[in-house]
Amino acid sequence: MSQNQPTALERFVQGILPENPVYRQLLGMCPTLAVTNNLLSAVTMTAAVMFVLVCANLIVSLIRDLLKPHLRIVIFTLTIATFVTVADRLLAAFVYPMSKTLGPYIPLIIVNCIIICRCEVCASKQGPLVAVADGLGQSLGFGLGLASIAAVREILGTGMWFGLRILPEAWPDWVIMVLPPGAFLTFGLLLGLVNWFNARRGVKEGA
Amino acid sequence: MKPSSQLSPEAVAAPGPAIEVAPSPHLADAGQSTRRMMIDVLIALAPVTAVAIVVFRWYAVQQLAICIGTCMAAEVFFAFLRGRRAPLGDASAAVTGAILALSLPATAPWYTAFIGSLVAIGVGKAIFGGLGMNLFNPAMVGRAFVMISFAGALGAAGYQDPAGRIDVMTQATPLTAFKQSGIAADLADLFWGTTNGSLGEISAAACLVGGLYLCLRRTASWQIPFSMLAAAGLLAWLDAGLGAGGWGVWHHLCGGAMLFGAFFIATDPVSSPLTPWGKIVFGAGTGALVMLIRIFSGYPEGVMFAVLLMNALTPLINRWTIPRPFGGQ
Amino acid sequence: MTTMSDASGAAALPPKKGWRDNYLVQGWLMLTLALAFGAVLAAVQLALGPAIAANKRNETFSKVPELVWGRELAAKMAAEDQTLGIETRNLPVTQNGQTTYYRVYDAVWNGQPAGWVIQAAGQGYADRIELLLGLSPDAEQVTGLFILDQKETPGLGNKIAADPWRGQFIGKATAAPLAVVKTTADQPHQIDAITGATISSRAVTEIVNRAVADLKTELAAAAGKAAP
Repeated sequence: MSQNQPTALERFVQGILPENPVYRQLLGMCPTLAVTNNLLSAVTMTAAVMFVLVCANLIVSLIRDLLKPHLRIVIFTLTIATFVTVADRLLAAFVYPMSKTLGPYIPLIIVNCIIICRCEVCASKQGPLVAVADGLGQSLGFGLGLASIAAVREILGTGMWFGLRILPEAWPDWVIMVLPPGAFLTFGLLLGLVNWFNARRGVKEGA
Repeated sequence: MKPSSQLSPEAVAAPGPAIEVAPSPHLADAGQSTRRMMIDVLIALAPVTAVAIVVFRWYAVQQLAICIGTCMAAEVFFAFLRGRRAPLGDASAAVTGAILALSLPATAPWYTAFIGSLVAIGVGKAIFGGLGMNLFNPAMVGRAFVMISFAGALGAAGYQDPAGRIDVMTQATPLTAFKQSGIAADLADLFWGTTNGSLGEISAAACLVGGLYLCLRRTASWQIPFSMLAAAGLLAWLDAGLGAGGWGVWHHLCGGAMLFGAFFIATDPVSSPLTPWGKIVFGAGTGALVMLIRIFSGYPEGVMFAVLLMNALTPLINRWTIPRPFGGQ
Repeated sequence: MTTMSDASGAAALPPKKGWRDNYLVQGWLMLTLALAFGAVLAAVQLALGPAIAANKRNETFSKVPELVWGRELAAKMAAEDQTLGIETRNLPVTQNGQTTYYRVYDAVWNGQPAGWVIQAAGQGYADRIELLLGLSPDAEQVTGLFILDQKETPGLGNKIAADPWRGQFIGKATAAPLAVVKTTADQPHQIDAITGATISSRAVTEIVNRAVADLKTELAAAAGKAAP
């Protein structure tokens, strides 16, 4: 059965670009739109998702032979919810201001489709090593997606990256970019760009 | 002149006769092309532009030049990205630029006009597939973008420039003055246009002249301005009756961008409904929303948001008001 | 693989309900995991709970010295390692038959009342604005203002949290309600509105006025009792 399954390295690489959760699978849109108005929150969110995804993948992979088909989703959710709560408490204890900024979006990781998708697709079928590599790859891909949107929004909306001024003071802040409409605009345009790029590459390879 | 090439670029590519789907008004007159309509709009904008230049002088010229120039350049650029020839000949980019410029305050910095024009043509029009495909009025998309982005430069305070070399620019706009201090402007000032405001909105008389020309030429359908002004007037009358003193029905109709919006913005044939009843619903909804925003929200003026909201409803209104053919079920 | 053979076995003899079909037996893995995860979460809460509670308390407590003493003095005292004694109390205010509670921080230094910090909230332009208001011990003077939480328009309304604007409140007398003006404030009880954000400016001033009106007499009386 495991003969046809991708190896750990393949899983890891797949998650970053070819199966990028944000741009290719369009999963986890809620944090993608909600916490990308600056790079710092995007990176924190990525770290939290990475922690939850890797831990949940590991546990699910370890117990994969015990899972009953009709009870598996409940067990995935239970595992994910536990690690999300741990991540939420850790953030509140060590980076309290960031935990306040991210607010409800940390608990909302529980319903982030990326994680349950990886548990179902990879962790419940393959060994712990592959599952962890898959979790790392997917969360790096997620982080890449978030950071690309956040980079555009923060530089246009405030002239800063990570809260440090990049553009001169005279830069007129595009306030709309840090507001919700900016998230939809930026994400839509970047997604279009990615698709255009892929289409072009496809044409070249075909020819 | 090849009228068919203006509306659907696909028609040019496909050989043989093409069946065109064009926005109303459908006239048998073969001379009725996009280009003609757009040039009509430009002619109708002339009185408004003239008043703006007389009142705001160099500021108005500068704003118009930046907006029209950028819109046309953006049209060429985005057409190039899509691998098409730029349809500059239909003058629609120039109209978008002119309307955007006339809806901005005189003191708006150059980059607001520039970014607004890029967004108007790029996000407002090209992304949807070019002229005729856009869901929202492009000029208003551009204006909404810069209005939210640079609220400080374009909001109520953006109109006043105490150091301005032109007298009217030292005053608050009539709507702001009323909203914040309860001061009602003189009706004659509102009518002739000696108050502060967006370039195109200040003179009710100029808007009426241009607007009536558009309606008589049937470039704009009379239903939209008529029902918009009627709905707004009705709500203004109720509001005045309920005790907000000093700012009556005529103030609401002549003040702010009400007339400019009714004749030049809401009547955009692409983003407003096709059917006569749909147009009446569209106009009435826009007028009612303008009044709701003016009376109850934090913004002094609401024409832009009202038009954008009703644009979003246009497909639905079209579906509700499909005329029943004679004898049909 | 075990699940597969189970399923085929069940298909072979369908109607019989054995003890294996009991839902508790079916769900043993979930129940075990739930217990294990529960224990993990309890441990995490025990380990991190105090730190989180301290974070929450510090968020408001750390602002109290600045609001009561002013920034320079507060920095100086902090450098000399002197701290204010802070007590928290909830003061009820009954209006129109409804009782609301204000959280009030009672700052004491060397046994003398140093001032009050009131936590108050109200509706802003976009969402609720929550702020801390510092008052002198006799509640006659505003000694500081800090915006805890606001979601006003970035670039306009969020200037209420910036130093230059909230600094205006320092030193204002509470005898008369403060008023927002759009021109330059020249009267002692006037506050300059933020250009383009009159509503946010008014909202903050309203919250301050209401908190003062609700609590002034009570606070002044309490301070009088504490320091005869």
